[in-house]
Amino acid sequence: MTLLSTTLNAVGLIFLTHAVYSTHEHTTTFPSAPLPLDITVELLFSTLVLSAGIVFASPSLKPIQWSRWAGKIEREGRQSEGTWTREGEEVLDEGDPYAFLGLDGGIGGKGEGRRGFWDVRGKRQEYAEWVKSGGKN
Amino acid sequence: MNEERELAISPIVHSSVQHNSQVVSNIRNLTASLFGVAAGTLGLESYPGFLFYLVGTLIVSSLIFAFRTDGKPTEYFHQPLGDLWGGDVFSGLSGFVLTWTLFYGLVRA
Repeated sequence: MTLLSTTLNAVGLIFLTHAVYSTHEHTTTFPSAPLPLDITVELLFSTLVLSAGIVFASPSLKPIQWSRWAGKIEREGRQSEGTWTREGEEVLDEGDPYAFLGLDGGIGGKGEGRRGFWDVRGKRQEYAEWVKSGGKN
Repeated sequence: MNEERELAISPIVHSSVQHNSQVVSNIRNLTASLFGVAAGTLGLESYPGFLFYLVGTLIVSSLIFAFRTDGKPTEYFHQPLGDLWGGDVFSGLSGFVLTWTLFYGLVRA
């Protein structure tokens, strides 16, 4: 996308500069004559190409509904924003706001999936089994 | 009341709303100056110039609609009519008039 937008912007700027220069030359040579059609067409074409380039160069929009937004983060993870800090670190976009809870650790894993959460019943059962087995290991 | 319930069921991410409106206002400001260059070079005066600006913003809005929102503006804007099609149209007008008069003076006068 960046290559496309850069190309569109470059082409549009060249045509725009040429069209404005041609208009300037034309009006200084024939002050009262109307603008020729080819210059008008070139000007409008370059404007259209440049505005398309500006739209393509803009960062992509983010979904506003929480479910869609969170689903996108879940699916794609944290993405680069296309900018880097002066130290050379990549700037990432926002991630899952509940990641600090560590809920993902509990899915299919042995962990409890929540930091600071203690499964009391599970521990009690473990203790009961340990007592039943005669306090070995 | 109905909308409140709707928002309680499917909440809205404010940072995304802010980001989207900033992107739209950025595009509007850049393209407004561009349309000013074109209008001044074409030598438009008075109402045709403003009409040119309105047509240009409509084209830019449809470009955003087609390529940035993929034809689904409700996913990215709370009120598509106000935020996408009419968003920041009048804040770009001052930039438009600035470059319009500048290029009219440089090229035409």
